[in-house]
Amino acid sequence: MSNSMVNETKQYLTFKLSDEIFGVDVAQVREILDYVKITKVPQTPDFMCGVINLRGSVVTVVDMNLKFGMKRTERTVNTCIVVVEVKIGDETAVLGALVDSVQEVFEIEPQNIEPAPRIGTKLNTEFIKGMGKRDENFIIILDIDKVFSTEELELVTESSNYKPEQ
Amino acid sequence: MPKTIMTVDDSASVRQMVAYTLKEAGYGVVEACDGVDALSKIDSESFSLIITDLNMPKMDGITLIKELRVKPKIKFTPILMLTTESQNEKKMEGKTAGATGWIVKPFKPEQLVAVVKKVIG
Amino acid sequence: MIDSLQQAFIEETRELLGELEITLLAVEDAPTDSELIAKLFRALHTIKGSSAMFGFDDIALFTHDIETAYDLIRNGKLGVTKQIIDLTLLARDEISNMLVKTGNHTQINEANTKKIIESFREIVSSFNKTEKKQLHAVVEPQSSSIDKSSDVFHHFHIRFIPGKDLFLTGTNPLMLIEELREMGSLVLSAHLDKTPDFTSLNPEECYCYWNAFLKTTKNLDDLQDVFIFVADNSELTFENISNEIPKDFEIDFAKLQNLVSQNDNDDFRAVLKQYFSVQKQEKQLEINTTQKQTQATNSHSESDSVSSIRVSSEKLDELVNLVGELVTIQATLSQVALSNNNNDMISISEEVERITWSLRDSALNIRMLPIGSTFSKFKRLVRDLSNELGKEVELSTDGAATELDKTVIEKLNDPLIHIIRNSIDHGVESPEERIKAGKPSIGKVHLSASQSGGNVLIKIIDDGAGLNKEAIREKAIKSGIIAENAELSDSELYTLIFAPGFSTAKKVTSVSGRGVGMDVVRRAIEGLRGSVQVSSELGKGTVITLKLPLTLAIIDGLLVKIGSDHYVLPLSSIEECIELTQDDVKKAHGRHVVNVRGGIIPYINLRERFRITENRPKIEQIVIASINNHHVGFVVDQVFGQHQTVLKSLGKYYEKVEGISGATILGDGTVALILDINKLTENEELEETKLASNSFK
Repeated sequence: MSNSMVNETKQYLTFKLSDEIFGVDVAQVREILDYVKITKVPQTPDFMCGVINLRGSVVTVVDMNLKFGMKRTERTVNTCIVVVEVKIGDETAVLGALVDSVQEVFEIEPQNIEPAPRIGTKLNTEFIKGMGKRDENFIIILDIDKVFSTEELELVTESSNYKPEQ
Repeated sequence: MPKTIMTVDDSASVRQMVAYTLKEAGYGVVEACDGVDALSKIDSESFSLIITDLNMPKMDGITLIKELRVKPKIKFTPILMLTTESQNEKKMEGKTAGATGWIVKPFKPEQLVAVVKKVIG
Repeated sequence: MIDSLQQAFIEETRELLGELEITLLAVEDAPTDSELIAKLFRALHTIKGSSAMFGFDDIALFTHDIETAYDLIRNGKLGVTKQIIDLTLLARDEISNMLVKTGNHTQINEANTKKIIESFREIVSSFNKTEKKQLHAVVEPQSSSIDKSSDVFHHFHIRFIPGKDLFLTGTNPLMLIEELREMGSLVLSAHLDKTPDFTSLNPEECYCYWNAFLKTTKNLDDLQDVFIFVADNSELTFENISNEIPKDFEIDFAKLQNLVSQNDNDDFRAVLKQYFSVQKQEKQLEINTTQKQTQATNSHSESDSVSSIRVSSEKLDELVNLVGELVTIQATLSQVALSNNNNDMISISEEVERITWSLRDSALNIRMLPIGSTFSKFKRLVRDLSNELGKEVELSTDGAATELDKTVIEKLNDPLIHIIRNSIDHGVESPEERIKAGKPSIGKVHLSASQSGGNVLIKIIDDGAGLNKEAIREKAIKSGIIAENAELSDSELYTLIFAPGFSTAKKVTSVSGRGVGMDVVRRAIEGLRGSVQVSSELGKGTVITLKLPLTLAIIDGLLVKIGSDHYVLPLSSIEECIELTQDDVKKAHGRHVVNVRGGIIPYINLRERFRITENRPKIEQIVIASINNHHVGFVVDQVFGQHQTVLKSLGKYYEKVEGISGATILGDGTVALILDINKLTENEELEETKLASNSFK
């Protein structure tokens, strides 16, 4: 991606994963939850934390730190689940993103957004819409439709042979 | 000489249905897709009856009826409106504009023929 | 709007076609039943009529000739023959295809439709000596039934004074008079006394008015219908003067008309009265004082006596979802009430629980449909298959009223079709073989449905050749499904026919025998949380039993805990729970088996399978379930007991995960996973075979 994919001024909800700040289009954010008990679904990758109960609906939660190759999210008083809506084909899916903490909502104009660098971030550049500049800092603006696409998340870990206990 | 009827409806399937039904019953049929089309064709021959939908683009049915009634040749020609159940007030409006009667949609082909026969025999 | 009308038309027509098929098969057994024949005609007539209205001209055209034939049949001019039934069934299929539109074209098989039309035309032409009649659509007034010939005559005095501007609405009053004339015997008087003199006369205005006397079998509603378009700007009066007519009096209409025409004034009634009294004097009539008042009764149309309403599936699903959420939150309410120890709250929450369960039962019940409609579809299938395969088979059913969840019925369709195909193809022998075996040449396939506990049992019974245990065993060994010296019970052997890749059919027909069918069937049934069992007797026949839960939305489960999470196992398969101590594990020397009352039962350690390492208790529990006729245990930390709960899907991202069939929300708000124990067992078996074969390398 040599061009930034953002043409309009938008508002972004920012959150922290380890030391980096990420941003998501506010239009795709439904709500922010405090950490709640997550039920792990067996045979799924580590970054799939599991599912939670959101007012009667079963919602999948993804550990964003693990998804992006960083250390597992530590559970602190600031840990949150950001509930987002993503487009999958013709349908909309609701997901929770487990993050270290949630920051502010910023408005960023297109001219302040630079295209994603090819190297330097550990992330798949497909996931990045652009790098937003705010004061001295960079905000990595995510394309969550890509981050949470079915291909990315429906992986199943192989149940390798286990040794029976003696 | 068979009687000729003009059917005005922006929906092709309803127009086709009306045309088919009336042709089977022995009438000649000319189709028009909306009010403007109808007015352009109305002088092409002598019509015994005009059946028009009410909800049409470009010119709605009631306006078409008023326009038709102004023409000397069509002043006394029977005009039937196609209305839906929920448009009861349209029936009165249509009659005030000069319509002869109405057929309620959706209708069965035999109901269409019955009303046409009633009005022009 | 037209799209939804067309969709409604398509759905209605599909229903009609379904009924048509059922009626056709019924008529085959009762070819002189006039009611059934009338039903056939009506169905074809409706299809022909409305299809043209919605752009399906080809259906209308196609149905035209068939309708003509059935018109002759219902008038007794033509008899119902097997050929006609066969043709009509084929035609029905063609019409069904024609309902599918891709773009602007319908799927017409020109060769087929042409053949069918020609055949019908031939049948009809033998009675149609005159030139082709132009089909006039039936003119039906919208109110009372016209087919009834009522003996009751009414006599009306009608006065019609049109508004002056009548002509400006394009109305021709003479057409209205004509309509009246067609309703019976009419005596008419036209009045011109309101016409102004010539100089002030406006030729565009209507000054004429009429009085009429009408003897008709029609009623007041029908009369009013005639004037429906002019009623609001005319003066109209209708008077039923039947009682002014002397009883049994024959009216001479010509004479009366003469009389009336001579009197131009408006005293029409006086003229009538005069006529009747004169006649009364001339003849001495006995006046019958008892005048029966017979109301012309409108017969009920042939609609069902049970009124029903069509509801879209999405609305139903939504309702069930909401009820499910209510059930969940009510469980939380109960918990909170208990923990607060507030007696008022506890009794209220108990009441809420009672009502919620009732609501849930009602909601689920709405989705229940009788399986009868599925069964009757199979009559056609059996008929066609019998013809195709050269067998003679009769289908009988019972329990058609047994109800199942709509989704279950839909998903049962294909598996049942395959089982029946199998029975006819491989089970039932050819007529010659049957006679040689001392059986009647006509084979029987019987479908039965019944409710038992929380399940529905569907049995497919045939009196065919039965399953050959030896052949099955041989085939299974050859395919590597079982080991050579494996010991299996009869029922376990029979169940092997459901294994993937298995088929003992000597000949692969177009219908079955490719070995892909039965395992798909079993998978489908298990996907519905059901089970399949087979029993058979060589030479006598086979019984296949499907056990299905009444509903998919609610699961009766056993709540357990492993580590810090809860899980639910489907209760229907579970037989018992026992303790598993460290001792038991040691005794098994590394194998996952346990001794239960002398029997060896293998188990799956779910902790290991799910890689849960935290908090392993010293004493664990084994839940023993019956899967495919053998026992398997599942090791968990704790067993809590029975738990009825709403099943929720995990969503797209977890579609590939095997062993978990869904999730449910517990009373405390946390999510418990529902285990698919069949799949878990299957995977475990695969694993072990892999391990075993690896250890031989």
